[in-house]
Amino acid sequence: MTKPAVSARAVSKYFGATCALANIDFELFAGEVHALVGENGAGKSTLVRILSGVHQPDQGEVSIDGQRAHLGSPSAAIAAGIVTIPQELRLVQSLSIAENLTLGDPPVKRVLGMRVVDRRRMRAAASDQLAQLGLSLDPGIRVDRLSYAERQLVAIAKALRRHCKILILDEPTAALEMREVERLFTLIDHMKREGAGILYVSHRLDEVVRLADRCTVLRDGQVATVARRGNFKIADLIVAMTGGLEMQPSDTVSEPGGIVLEDVSRRPDAIRLRANEVLGLAGLLSSGAGHMLRRLFGFTGERIELRRNGRLKRIASPADAIRIGIGFVPDERRLGLIMNQSIRDNILLPSLDVIARGGRIDRGEGNRLVEQMMELLDIRPRHPELPVSALSGGNQQKVIVAKWFARGVGVLLLDEPTQGIDVAAKAQIHTLIRKFAKRGGGVLVRSSDLTELTLICDEILAVHQARITDRLQRSDGFDEKRLHAAIGG
Amino acid sequence: MRRHSKYTWPWLRRFNLVGQAPLITLIVLCLATALMTDRFISPLNLTNILVQSSIMAVIAIGMTFVIIGGGFDLSVGSTVALAGCIAAMVMVRFGLVAGIIAGIAAGMAVGLANGLIIARLGVNPFITTLGTMVLVRGVVYLITGGAPVGDEGLPPAFIAFGSVRFLGIHYLVWVPALLLVALSWLMQATPYGQRVYATGGNREAAYLSGVAVERIIASTYVWCGGLAGLAGVMLAARLQSGQPTAGEFYELTAIAAVILGGASLHGGEGTLYKSIIGVLIMVVLGNSLNLLNVDSYWQRVAIGAVIIAAAATDRLRSHR
Repeated sequence: MTKPAVSARAVSKYFGATCALANIDFELFAGEVHALVGENGAGKSTLVRILSGVHQPDQGEVSIDGQRAHLGSPSAAIAAGIVTIPQELRLVQSLSIAENLTLGDPPVKRVLGMRVVDRRRMRAAASDQLAQLGLSLDPGIRVDRLSYAERQLVAIAKALRRHCKILILDEPTAALEMREVERLFTLIDHMKREGAGILYVSHRLDEVVRLADRCTVLRDGQVATVARRGNFKIADLIVAMTGGLEMQPSDTVSEPGGIVLEDVSRRPDAIRLRANEVLGLAGLLSSGAGHMLRRLFGFTGERIELRRNGRLKRIASPADAIRIGIGFVPDERRLGLIMNQSIRDNILLPSLDVIARGGRIDRGEGNRLVEQMMELLDIRPRHPELPVSALSGGNQQKVIVAKWFARGVGVLLLDEPTQGIDVAAKAQIHTLIRKFAKRGGGVLVRSSDLTELTLICDEILAVHQARITDRLQRSDGFDEKRLHAAIGG
Repeated sequence: MRRHSKYTWPWLRRFNLVGQAPLITLIVLCLATALMTDRFISPLNLTNILVQSSIMAVIAIGMTFVIIGGGFDLSVGSTVALAGCIAAMVMVRFGLVAGIIAGIAAGMAVGLANGLIIARLGVNPFITTLGTMVLVRGVVYLITGGAPVGDEGLPPAFIAFGSVRFLGIHYLVWVPALLLVALSWLMQATPYGQRVYATGGNREAAYLSGVAVERIIASTYVWCGGLAGLAGVMLAARLQSGQPTAGEFYELTAIAAVILGGASLHGGEGTLYKSIIGVLIMVVLGNSLNLLNVDSYWQRVAIGAVIIAAAATDRLRSHR
């Protein structure tokens, strides 16, 4: 039997008093795609950081090709052939693709006895490398001109320049469109055939089922299960991750009330949102669905006219939208939170004018409101003074929702509300969205996860090339094939 | 998935020594100096320290507004000179009150210009205020012809303001003390203050929460300019004239004091009273080096080192 390309034996890691990994065994063989899944806080990132030399295990050992190895730093891991592609790509934005690819050891020539960068060879080498991966990009383009997907492929191409035995991909598809995901998968297949071992960390279980030869599920810092291809389904993975919790489809269709929000300025396919209704926007990343949402919140700089509860209102900025009772949960959490501030300050920020009495913030009132919100949304831990940067992704997302619940808005615009958060928090947020609608609110939610939309929405609008191409009702039963066709996916 | 074991017991945070580092530094500095020379704790010397700190404290309060809001202001030194000279010129002709108002208004005007250029046009604060620093100093020389203003003819009440005491404490010291109380309340207890912190902490997130970020940022520069103007008036009272060369390098001392006081150059963090502790650290350091007869060239080296140490602590803190 061949030895694993990299393995961890009885590895434990503590941060202060908390145990992030407890006695973990893990193996990755050459030529396999090994998926690593688990909820936030389950220990995925800690394991990835140990394998890439960022953290050192407190107990246990890491071996490479059966030899005990000490990965004391990221550069030691790279020297050992372990290359990590993190979510935030490490490329120099102001340099060209070719310069990035050859950064560190550019080809040189001698001019008058001095070593000078050989631009022509640099370009040729970069072109070769891109062609090998089936990419047709001009190596002279600056990296900041590329899309995220293209930059990711460049980062992988850069990784492959070095001797790469093991490639670690951390949530590689979180920001990709379907077409780009396909291109990435082709590349992963290619590398697998070349004999690299690939560790694939993802929240997207459908991808894991499709791609992975084996899958390790972590729960609370321990290995919950290791399964081979064909032996796991999405439902099994969820059970292993959560220890038994399952996703519930939402309750019956609610009775829609009067129109709470109507887009007056674009007449033919205007968005009309009713009370007690969850309206979904289904669309790919570049479909324009996100723009529609931001536009209604005054976040695109346009001046628009809205009818809110029957009254005509002009909106030019988020402040205007908030004033008429609209809240917005952006797709990036750094847009929703002030990371160095406490849970309390974040929750109260949009409501400062509401809780001010005679120009002064009413502390008691604010504290009561925050306590109530943390209870209602189950934000953990229950310490309002904790900076939000110390919370898990799911709890951070709940704080953003809490900001608008505290303000008492009547309309919620949600952009990818459960992106990158774990299954349990996802279910809680779905329940909150339904409850909000049930109590008379109107919700407009965009998601690239169609299953999520069919779970929580009363009606789904399909968006393709900035137009609404189809409308599907819950009462007719959502037809996923029809939805796929309508969004052009 | 980052785990913060530090917050396992949140009550521990209240006894957090890191947060009180500026105060501890100041106390240690005072004790060390008092042990080495008995001239330090004499009433005369302590009064001297307070008076010397008072003008810089007013500037540092304004600088703290700007730095909490995520900005930076290099133009306060020149603004001090501009306000002092304008106040003296107006005072000679139109009297005490008009002069004081003109000085403060001149500072607010410089701040408003800075604020609009930075918040509306999005020009980098460092470059903008570097520009106004040079420009305003040029204007000062233009309007004064390079000579001191109002040597004679300043109202006696104004001269008295620069040296007379109330309840045993100099008027000059009362100014920052009262400002500290009023403006700390503004920053901690009003929506405006919370919005300044939010804007400095994350401008985009604040905007999406309904904060008028451009207006908030511009307002911090108006505060900074206006308080630098007030400081200029105080300095003119103390020097009994408007000096066109006044206030040189004040901007650097003020920024260093604010950072020493624990504010973050990344914005969103800082406390007014700690900035004043930062000012006291700078002044006491200079005072003790003087009392210990350290060569004045070496004093510059020491103060420079303190500024770098403060910036390095800021960096380490943001890496924690």
